[in-house]
Parts: sequence; C-alpha cells; structure tokens
Amino acid sequence: MKKLLQKIVGKSPWLYRINAGSCNGCDVELATTACIPRFDVERLGCKYCGSPKHADIVLITGPLTVRVKDKVLRVYDEIPDPKVTVAIGICPISAGVFRDSYAIAGPIDSFIPVDVNVPGCPPRPQAIIDGILEAIKIWETRM
Amino acid sequence: MSSFLKIALRNLLKGPSTDPYPFGETFVPKGLRGKIKYNAKACIACGMCEHVCAGGAIQIKETADKSGLEFIVWHNTCAFCGLCEHYCPTKAIRLTEDFHTAHSQEDKYRYVERGFIKYVTCARCATPMVPIAPELMTLAYGQVNKDIEKLRHLCPKCRQKQSLR
Repeated sequence: MKKLLQKIVGKSPWLYRINAGSCNGCDVELATTACIPRFDVERLGCKYCGSPKHADIVLITGPLTVRVKDKVLRVYDEIPDPKVTVAIGICPISAGVFRDSYAIAGPIDSFIPVDVNVPGCPPRPQAIIDGILEAIKIWETRM
Repeated sequence: MSSFLKIALRNLLKGPSTDPYPFGETFVPKGLRGKIKYNAKACIACGMCEHVCAGGAIQIKETADKSGLEFIVWHNTCAFCGLCEHYCPTKAIRLTEDFHTAHSQEDKYRYVERGFIKYVTCARCATPMVPIAPELMTLAYGQVNKDIEKLRHLCPKCRQKQSLR
C-alpha cells in the first residue's frame, strides 16, 4: 500500500510559493519555471496551487524580513504534513547580501525545517527544476 | 484564414520549444555566471576578493598549524556577482558556467569551494611567506629575466634589501 502510494504521489506534487520578503528576482524565476513553455515544470507533474492547504512542496524565497516573519510562519503552519521545504536563492539559505541587517530575522532554517537548498541570485530555472526533482524524491519517502 | 493555417502548420512542424532538461541536455548561454572556481597556484592572497565580496562568501585565513592560508567560498551566500573575478589581479578566481547548485540541507555548510596556499620559506632568511605566482611576475614586470626571477624566492624584507642594493 505504501509503495503504491509513493508511486502515485511522486507524480503529482503540488507546489506552493511563499515570498518571505524577497526582491522578486527568485519569484520571477519561479514564474518562469512554471509558466514559460520552455522550462515547463508541469512536465514533472508539479502544479502551482493558490492555497497553502493544498500544498505538498513549499518553495520559499526571500531572507525572512522581520515584518513578514509572523505571516510566513502562520502560512507555513497551514500547510498540512507531510511537506517538503525548498529554499530558493541565497537569501532564505543564509540571508545572502542582507545578512546581519536589522530588518532581517532569517536565515529561514532557524525557524522552518528546510530540506533542499537551491542557491543562486537568482538560480536558473534549470537549477530550480533540479531542486524540485530532489524535493520530489524526499516527498516520496515521506509518504 | 489561410495565413492562420500557415502559422499553425509551421508551428506544428517546428517541434516542441520546451527545453528537454532534466531529461536531456540543456543550453548554457555564453558568459553565464555560475559557481566559482579557484586556482590556488595563481593566488597571491592579496585579499581583494574577500574585500569586494558582496555576500561575504569568501574567506581567506591562516590555518591552525600556520602552514599556509586557506581560501573558502561558501556557495550558499555567493550572489554570482562576479566582482571577485573582476578585481582579482592574477585571475585566480574564475566564474564557471556550472549552474547546478541544488543540494540537500545536510550539505548546507559543506557546499564550499576550497583552496590551500602553502607557505614557502624565503631563500635568504627562511621566514614563511606566500609564494609569488608567475602571473603576478608577468603582471608587475612584463618580461621576467633571471635577476627578477631571483626576487621571487625572497620575502618582502629581503626583496627590499636586494632591490635597494
């Protein structure tokens, strides 16, 4: 039963995007990965969803600013378990060039358990696809 | 109507425009700024890269046993801005076209590019010093002759004495 579930579930993980105070660079790359036929993340069975309650894989961008911190944690708690978290860009991973700023509460892994990191400023769509593939592998084992 | 059909037929014959990655090969545009590659042999440890690094990704520091300098780039805070490459006088740092950066959380702090510059001793007074790269010699002197080549193995103090003699 578990094996069957793993087989099915790996084919259609739904993606959810959280912007934790990003500059929009990584969000543009995420939109490119999903919406432009050239990169087309839906070939992997992924689909962006609008509600956190439908999400399986969470893509987080941005360094987690102090202002947005509570909202991000609240939205993150709405996502049902099991979930896989992917940090997109150097900001959520290490706060990048904004590190040690008074306006930054991050890096994100001090508040949220992160599973896959995709550094880059911003990462290429292909690198994001790499990260999502890795996340799908983890997602299958969590079932 | 006929023009529409023409376009539809042409698009049909063109094949898919989707990039086959991750199932096939992808394209890499020329000049893509990817992961940093470091060449310890050409490095003169001037520290310029560390100074200009926007994300604070580069660190050059002496090892615990004082046998040399260790160079580290932590890719997880490197913005691929290319300033280090631009300001490196001997071009020891290069940005490659490698964009494969996805890795798991366990490797977060292991995702680094390392280099080690071993100290050499001065030919005259035997103090440890950073070896002088041939790239720096050509940069400073253009043509390197035998007399100048001798200076290469001296520490800054002995070099000063030698040149002022």
